[in-house]
Amino acid sequence: MRDFARQSALIAHKDLLIELRSRERLVSTLTFAVLVAIVFSFALDPTVRPVRIAGAMVWVTILFAGMLGLGRSFTLEQEQDALVGLLLTPIGRGALYFGKFLANLALLVIAAVVVYLVYALFFQLSLGGAAAGLALVTFLGCVGFMALGTLFSAVAASTRLGDTLLPIVLLPLLIPIVVFGAGATQLLLIGRPLAEVGGNIRMLAAFDLIFVALCTTVFGTVVEE
Amino acid sequence: MRIWAAVLSILAAATMVWAFYLIFFYAPTELTMGVVQRIFYVHVPSAWVAFLAFGVVALCSLGYLWLKDDRLDAIAISAAELGVVYTTAVLITGPIWGKLAWGAWWVWEPRLTLTLLLWLIYVAYFMIRNATENPERGKRFAAVLGVVGAVDIPLIHLSVQWFRSQHPQPVIMRPEGPTADPAIVETLFVSLLAFTLTFFALLLYRYGLERMRMRVDALRYRPTTSSVTSAEGAFR
Amino acid sequence: MSGGDPLAQSSSSEALIQARGLEKWYGHHPAVRGVDFDLGSGEFLTLFGPNGAGKTTLLKLLAGSLRPTRGEIRFARGDADDEHARRRRIGVLSHQTFLYGQLTADENLRFYGRLYELGDLDDRIDRMLSQVGLTRRRRDLVRTYSRGMQQRLALARTLLHDPEMVLLDEPYTGLDPHAAAMLRAVLEQLRDGHRTVVLVTHNLSQGLELADRVVVQVAGRWVSDEPRAQLDASTFEALYTERVGGTV
Repeated sequence: MRDFARQSALIAHKDLLIELRSRERLVSTLTFAVLVAIVFSFALDPTVRPVRIAGAMVWVTILFAGMLGLGRSFTLEQEQDALVGLLLTPIGRGALYFGKFLANLALLVIAAVVVYLVYALFFQLSLGGAAAGLALVTFLGCVGFMALGTLFSAVAASTRLGDTLLPIVLLPLLIPIVVFGAGATQLLLIGRPLAEVGGNIRMLAAFDLIFVALCTTVFGTVVEE
Repeated sequence: MRIWAAVLSILAAATMVWAFYLIFFYAPTELTMGVVQRIFYVHVPSAWVAFLAFGVVALCSLGYLWLKDDRLDAIAISAAELGVVYTTAVLITGPIWGKLAWGAWWVWEPRLTLTLLLWLIYVAYFMIRNATENPERGKRFAAVLGVVGAVDIPLIHLSVQWFRSQHPQPVIMRPEGPTADPAIVETLFVSLLAFTLTFFALLLYRYGLERMRMRVDALRYRPTTSSVTSAEGAFR
Repeated sequence: MSGGDPLAQSSSSEALIQARGLEKWYGHHPAVRGVDFDLGSGEFLTLFGPNGAGKTTLLKLLAGSLRPTRGEIRFARGDADDEHARRRRIGVLSHQTFLYGQLTADENLRFYGRLYELGDLDDRIDRMLSQVGLTRRRRDLVRTYSRGMQQRLALARTLLHDPEMVLLDEPYTGLDPHAAAMLRAVLEQLRDGHRTVVLVTHNLSQGLELADRVVVQVAGRWVSDEPRAQLDASTFEALYTERVGGTV
């Protein structure tokens, strides 16, 4: 167990260090988020009150921005066959998955925060009151997203289709995240109390637990040759 | 296995004939929806088989990942191919009926929505399976999706249900009709049986085909030994 | 060999690895077919063969990153069954460097060192960098390195954890003469009697130079397996070039 934690931390640290150097993923996801917000601003009927669809806009943006960054998670391991080198070390396959999952999650959370700030700015949303609830719901949604996303980005990296496979595979699987996450977010943004979204939060947490456990377990079969 | 497949096919065909008889001549005409409602006897069994097929895919995928037996993968791909056909049938009969009965092609009815997502997962299954250079990896990747998808389906179901409860639609879908007339139940049951038997019969045939293909591949790729012996001779 | 425990029989030759009936099939394509051998501790084996002969596959089987379709491969002593312990005893150098371009040489080595849970990591890194002549550039990003420098760093990575068995898959590929000379010098040092080395190469002269044992693999089978001492270099080279094709 301690090995698992130590190895995951090593992998996560390495991935984040690489990202810190190049900032590729952060820049692309953040730029994407801002651009989508701008597009929404122009595309929306100005008579519609943005707060009524803010939940949807936020989650759609997080989903697609997140998928943009996911691809890089394993392609960076392919450049010099680094993944092969990793697999030759005494690292547990589950720990390798979990480390990458943690790094992906950290980057996505940063992106999510920016998404909220941008939308709050562009559409005059007030986040203050519901901030804690929004943070919790969004975090749980990101966990589930990255749990499945990390597994399937490893799959996608080994296929001819590469990143284009990710949305096709992931989006149907992520419907529970969209429904419970966006649903709760929407309720919180229009001022409903946190207690009202308790069911959503429980469902998200259940989704997260199930899939983090499942993906950690099956990851070995995905990366072995 | 051929005998099983033949017996099953005859059984399935016979049951199907009986089912169609019941559908068209026995089941009562529904009061509000009319003759169109009979599509229900194709729609529901198709949905049942679609999900049953995915259950087979999931179980065999799990077994394949664990035991690495190619035969399990052969069953899985056979079930997946059939499953996607039945799922497509559901997605076609559903909207047709919806349009004729209530005037709308698609109303996000929870079960139909779940079936749509199942269809998308099937499509992803095939895409993944065929997208790799090394076919072994493709099978493994598809199996992973089979397992993950199966675990996800109940969660998707719950989420779609919750979603609908938040946004009640004016159209109430009770495809069975307001009453549980025993004739309707009987017809439905026979139809379910017919569709299930047909599925298993087709599954056996498709599996047999897959096994044959595996054997042909083994023969086709049997390596020649001439290059080895000439090199061997040089170094003696 | 007749019956009985193969391990007991070869204890005199201190076999480090034993392969019996080794086969690896990719679908219906056999990359390795029916290979048997004992690899002794301290042995330097050079493996020649045309492209597609399955040499890389054999190396991967030795490294444990591939599981054989049939047959088995065993480490003769110690924690042979513990996969993680096995991996600690093996180092692999491929023509891909397994390095991260966005990190410095130091960071790359430190990362691998921590994965192997190495003690006195700083000392080891200093030593390895000095041995491959990269001390001055240690804080530079690896993607600024030339191919030769990258391969030298990869060599440092391979030997960082002091592996008992070193597997080299065409390590000379794309190296400038300076880097190639350094590689050769390091390889010579590896022949210390304790380390087992398996070198896969197309380069006949370099391969023959350091070998104790010379093997030719064609289409997944070992068609020749001779001690170096019993080989006449020029005859071998002529034969090999004629029958199999290779460079001198």
